[in-house]
Order: sequence, then C-alpha cells, then structure tokens
Amino acid sequence: MSVDLGFWAPVLVAGALAGASTGLLGVTIIGMRIPFLGVCVAHAALAGAVFGSLAGLTGQWLLVPALAAALATALALGLSNPQTLRADVNVVMGLLFSLTMGLAFLGIGLFDRFGRSANEALGLLWGSLTFCGWRDVAVMAPLTAVEVAFVLVFYKEMRAILFSREHAAAAGVRVTLVWSAFLVLASAVLTVNFKIVGGLMIYSLLANPAAAAFQLVRGYGRALALAVAIGTVSGVGGFLIALAARLPTGATIVILSSALVAVAAVVARVRGRVRRHTAWPGPSADR
Amino acid sequence: MSEAVIDLRNVRVVAGRRTILAVDALSVAPGEFVAVIGPNGAGKSTLLKTVLGLQRAAGTVRVLGQAVGDVGPGAVARLRRRIGYVPQVLAGRSELPLTLREVVAIGRTGTAGLGRRLRADDWRRVDDWLARLGLAALATQAYGDLSGGEQRKGLIAKAMVQDPEILLLDEPTANLDLAWRERIVETLDTLFADVHATVVLVCHDLEVIPSCGERLVVLEAGRVTAEGSPAKVLVPERVAGLYGANLEVLHRGGRYTVVPRQGGAA
Repeated sequence: MSVDLGFWAPVLVAGALAGASTGLLGVTIIGMRIPFLGVCVAHAALAGAVFGSLAGLTGQWLLVPALAAALATALALGLSNPQTLRADVNVVMGLLFSLTMGLAFLGIGLFDRFGRSANEALGLLWGSLTFCGWRDVAVMAPLTAVEVAFVLVFYKEMRAILFSREHAAAAGVRVTLVWSAFLVLASAVLTVNFKIVGGLMIYSLLANPAAAAFQLVRGYGRALALAVAIGTVSGVGGFLIALAARLPTGATIVILSSALVAVAAVVARVRGRVRRHTAWPGPSADR
Repeated sequence: MSEAVIDLRNVRVVAGRRTILAVDALSVAPGEFVAVIGPNGAGKSTLLKTVLGLQRAAGTVRVLGQAVGDVGPGAVARLRRRIGYVPQVLAGRSELPLTLREVVAIGRTGTAGLGRRLRADDWRRVDDWLARLGLAALATQAYGDLSGGEQRKGLIAKAMVQDPEILLLDEPTANLDLAWRERIVETLDTLFADVHATVVLVCHDLEVIPSCGERLVVLEAGRVTAEGSPAKVLVPERVAGLYGANLEVLHRGGRYTVVPRQGGAA
C-alpha cells in the first residue's frame, strides 16, 4: 500500500498535537471532576459560531465568535463564586451549558428566516482529523506551545488548585487569577480542536489519557507527562491503525484511547496485587 | 497588652434569610491558644472562614493589623500566607495523583511567589515537617491512599510549612478514632509549645482541647455566649445547656472531658 506522505503528514502531526494538548488539559479537568467542561465549552463555541454565521462570517473567521463565546463562558465559570451562588461548579456548568445550547438552537432556528444554511456553523463541532492540513497545524501548534508554557510556569499553582481550590486559596495562592487563565486557555485549545479534529475525539482525549495516567503513576508531574504521552500515542497510533485497516480515523482513536484506560486499570490491579503479596505492613497499616 | 492579631467587630454573615454568624466583639491576642466550642451549626467553621476572608461578612474583620474586607485579592493572598488553616473537610479523592509531599508543599506555594518554582529551602521545610509529624515514610504515597488520621496530619504539616503567625484548626480530630485523636491533640500541644503561634481551635468536644488551651469561646446560633478561662466558662449551668443536664465536666492533667454525672439519671 502506498502512502501519500504529503497528504497524511499534517494529519499525523495534528493527531499528535490534539492528543498531547487535550491530554495535558485532562489531568486538571478530570482530576477536578469537571469533564462536563468540554461539553459546556463546545456548545458555547457553537452558539458563538452560529451567531457569527448569522452576522455573515464564513470559513476560519467563524472561529473568532466561537472563541469569544467559549472564553466568555470559561471566564463566567472561573469568576463565579460557588459560595455566593450557593451552587457547585458542576451546577454552574449545567446552567451555562443549557443557556449556550438554547442560544445555539435559537440561532439555528433563525437561519431559515435569513435564507442561509447552518451547516458551516454546525461543522464547528464535527471537524475531522482526516481533512487536517498544515494551515490547521499552524493554529494548533502555537496554542499547544502556549498551553505547555502555562503549565510549566504555573506548575505549582495548578498542582495546588488540582488538590482543592479552597485549600489553595487559604494558603495564599492566587486561585481566581490562575484558574481563570487556565479556563481561558482550555476553552481556546478545546474550541480549536473541536473545529479541526472533531468533538467526539476531543471528549475522549480529554478524559481517557488522564484517567489512564491516574491509574499508573503518583505525582503531578508524572501524571502530566504520562497523560501527554498516552494522548499522543492515542492520536498517532489510532490514526496509523485506521490508515492501515481502512477504518474511520476518529472512532479508531477513541477506541484506542479507551483501550489504553482498560490496559492501565489492569496493570494497576496486577501491580497492586503483587505489592500486597510482597510488601511489609507499612506505616499505613493501622488505618 | 499588644494589639490583637484577630479582631472582629459587629461581624454578620447571612446565608439566605438566616444569620449564621453574629459576633459583636471577639479578639485574640498574640500567642494565645483559643478553643471555640459549640454545637453543630453554631457558626464555628464560618468564623474561621471569615477570619481568612473566604467567607464574605458585614462588619470589621482585622487580622494581623489588616482589615480583611478592605484590601484587594493580592493583599488578601499575602495575608493568608501568614495564616495556617486546617479545614474540616478532607479533599482526598481516590483518583488524585498527588503525593503527600506535594500536598504539604501547597503550604509553600503562595509564599514562593506566583509563577516561581519552589526552592530547595521550601522542600527542606516540607521534609522537615513531614519528619516532625512522623509522616516521612509516607511522603511519596498518594494522598488519597492514606488513612483519615494520616491525611489530617498531612494537612497540619501543610499549614505548618507556611511558618504561620496564626494557626486556624477546624475540627482536626473529627471522624478519627481515639488513638488518632490523642496523637493529633498531642501534636497540637507540642506545636504550640515549640512554635508559639497564635492558635484558634474549633471543636465540638472538650476532649480535643489540649492542655495549652487557656481560653474558651462558646458559640451558639452564631453568637458568642461565653468566653474566658475553662474554669470560668465550664460552670455546671452552661455544661448542662451545651451537653445535657446529666453530664458533668472532669478536669484531669490539664485536659477536660464530659462524663455522666454520678448518681444522675440512667
């Protein structure tokens, strides 16, 4: 089988970038038990794109209102005080999700009135890795670099926030500042990935690499590194398997990343059993 | 007398239509060990959160000479770095990948500065406190895998690595068995003797108050109903009101305990 590298090379790179960038986000998002964030941001971006399309924007320009809506949602989430609102962050996400979905459907309902098609705006949630080009990689690569830089610079703050926002704030960490910045960055990364590689693949790459890493390692840095590695392997490996077996790319990546979680869970159980058989009753034995 | 390190004047916290804290005046002097007792829902945890600025409140809250409500987020963060806080609720989630050492290091995170890495000296303090509290062997264990008592000691270590001028403890022995409760109380006694920080301990049970607890504040329905030395506060009428008519307080070796009154109703 001959492979057209010129066509597939950007797809391969985009798969690796999508896996790495969402794997990196996943450690915080899954560790804080807010996987719904991905869905929330996706519908906010969709609402933005729908109204951008109604306003006459097309092509890559639709990303601008989509990003603006996603960022506004992320900021609303980051700055809302659960204590004042008397609602958990998941409840706030539920409210924002229903609001943005309502706005998106309202906008879609208006397309007929303006004699336009909603297909382009709806395409924001249904991008496909198979059709990625270097132009898409040129958007994904710098955003992934910014994300990596953010995690490196605010490594200890993000580690504290991952443990507990309240504990971190009580210890004098600038939680609102760092958390809001993270949410803004996460929305940008997710929106761009939705547009380029598709929602289904992003949801799975957000959750699965982090879930697999949590099974296998202890320590924030190790969890980050392993989640990035598993995300990258899922993106690249899934694409190569799909190419070789002529399977749908997105679905193969999703199934591979899910299989890696299962493998990690089995390895963790086996390792735990071996440890129980060989370890001395350590200091925790009196619990 | 030197200036109070905690000073509350006409402080009100309202949730919905209910006033959950209504403190007209409450001060804590430098180096004092104050135990705040009271039944569930008395506003004890809210009191600590108000001191930290984690709970919005009407009135004046001055901590270490600063009015908590009047300063910006940066100043509040700097103030909190001088206060060690051990909250009641444990944050240990089973899937959390953080080690005990990393959790304790959260106490140095604010102090080290935004965007700066923890220095060798920060990690030395973390390891020192892990060793002092007998947790060194567990340093690389996942926090979520530790027992409740070990997690609680870890949170005390997290507060202590801040080198706090004030230590706020919210029910540090809740849900622990007797052996762990005694270990924690012993730890608090030793810490107070070694570090000389001002300590505010919130608890339900008198048994939790270490021998260094020299002042009691009784909080009921959000209001301070009594304060002073244990001998002055723990009079039979108040004990009956707080714990029941058939109980009495015993004082042994600097500690207090509530027991059924001899000859009382079965």
